[in-house]
Amino acid sequence: MDDPTNLNEIHEKIQQMKKTAQELDRFGENFPSIARNTSRILASVKMLELNLSDLVELKK
Amino acid sequence: MNYQQAYWNPVLETLPREQLQQLQLKKFRRIFKWAFDHSKFHRQLYDRAGLTPDDIQTFEDIRRVPKVQKSMMRDIQRKDPFPYGDTLCVPLEEVSEFRQTSGTTGQPVYQADTWQDWEWWAECWSYILWAQGYRPSDRVFIPFGYNIFVAFWAGHYAAEKLGCEVVPGGVLDTQARILKIQELRASALMATPTYILGMADTAKNKMGIDPAGLGIKRITCAGEPGAGIPSTKKRIETAWNAKVYDHAGATEIGAWSYECSHQPRGMHVNDAFFLVEIEDAETGEIIEEPGKRGKMIITALDRLAQPCVRFDSKDIIEWDSEPCACGRSFRLIKGGVVGRADDITKVKGVLLAPSAIEEVVRSIDGLGDEFEVIVDKLGDVDRIKLKVELMPGREDQLKPIENALKDQLRLKTNLGYRIEFYDYGKLPRYEVKAKRFIDKRKHD
Repeated sequence: MDDPTNLNEIHEKIQQMKKTAQELDRFGENFPSIARNTSRILASVKMLELNLSDLVELKK
Repeated sequence: MNYQQAYWNPVLETLPREQLQQLQLKKFRRIFKWAFDHSKFHRQLYDRAGLTPDDIQTFEDIRRVPKVQKSMMRDIQRKDPFPYGDTLCVPLEEVSEFRQTSGTTGQPVYQADTWQDWEWWAECWSYILWAQGYRPSDRVFIPFGYNIFVAFWAGHYAAEKLGCEVVPGGVLDTQARILKIQELRASALMATPTYILGMADTAKNKMGIDPAGLGIKRITCAGEPGAGIPSTKKRIETAWNAKVYDHAGATEIGAWSYECSHQPRGMHVNDAFFLVEIEDAETGEIIEEPGKRGKMIITALDRLAQPCVRFDSKDIIEWDSEPCACGRSFRLIKGGVVGRADDITKVKGVLLAPSAIEEVVRSIDGLGDEFEVIVDKLGDVDRIKLKVELMPGREDQLKPIENALKDQLRLKTNLGYRIEFYDYGKLPRYEVKAKRFIDKRKHD
């Protein structure tokens, strides 16, 4: 599991997910279920970053 | 998904040491800056030391960062932002979880976590449980109180994250829990070693149920050193016919270490999420080489609401000289946590500091200054006896004094004691250093 191409691809997907969740969060101002659920999604995305993105960014 | 995969994170858990250290340094600099910018407590600490984030470039620089003692946390809490005080790094409305330490040494320390921190707790435990063989086919029974102490909360959520079925065993008494384990054919348990042995004893001697026949395959023990002590581990494994794995964590730190399925007589430090340093208790120097015990100084590299940066844990550990056969590059601490720098011990699974007993005894009018605590075992169960002296002329007040003593001990130490009263002057006296706390339990 150390194919650098693969890790970079995974990292890109994580960042896309994060960006989408952040954009979605902007709709949450008057929509609590959007706001709170995207908040949780972003916390889970952070776990993906801790598990992989931190390392990928280190190698750049 | 490939359930045969040995590692929760096959990249980080086998990362070459050099890259792991680069990652640790990067993350330490990040959390240091976070604490510097957001925590008044940490900022004051670092200002007094003359340190700014730009000063942290190497591991030698990290060693200049002042350590945090538990007593410091007590001093700053119970103030605004209430109740966490100046250590809180996020707005109060972002705190989603409150937990506290057991408070046996004094005031409990409060711990704030955001939802992201709580996810982090479950993520740390996911490394643990996956390494110990937990898989979605497991039905995990968790017999703890689901209360104000962090205990196995994150173990519950991690088991869910792995895809296990989780049976919360709170509220039920021990016999009801055993019956439920039997009824549901649970395959895994999480509990303190004391409780696990106690359950086995109850099952066998009070219920006529052989715990070895209940089908439990794996048991994760935490909260006290038992599973890292070979004879205790062996007793539990024999009693339950299951594999027993150790874990060490703390409310203020997180779930920082775990025994893997290879059972290497030690525990892996999650080096990707924590920076562990071992400090020589005499010289204060950092110990890099294996085989030398010291005090653990630990940083949780990603915990944000109430950061843990170079926390003086008082746990005594040493590095193992050999890598583990499991293939993880996460370092092993040999034998797990082998002791505590300040002699706090666990009795019946409860953290106990001798100073808490001293505080109670000397607050009761009618008792002499001297006392003695004896901890021993009856079978597998801890017992604690307190010897005290009744002051002359107070004999007719024995009962109310005894009641007050028992009440305060229960309140301050969460334990029940056998109390023995002696005439004044009968207990040992000491001139220089006293040894009032006698622990007769033997550890292999």
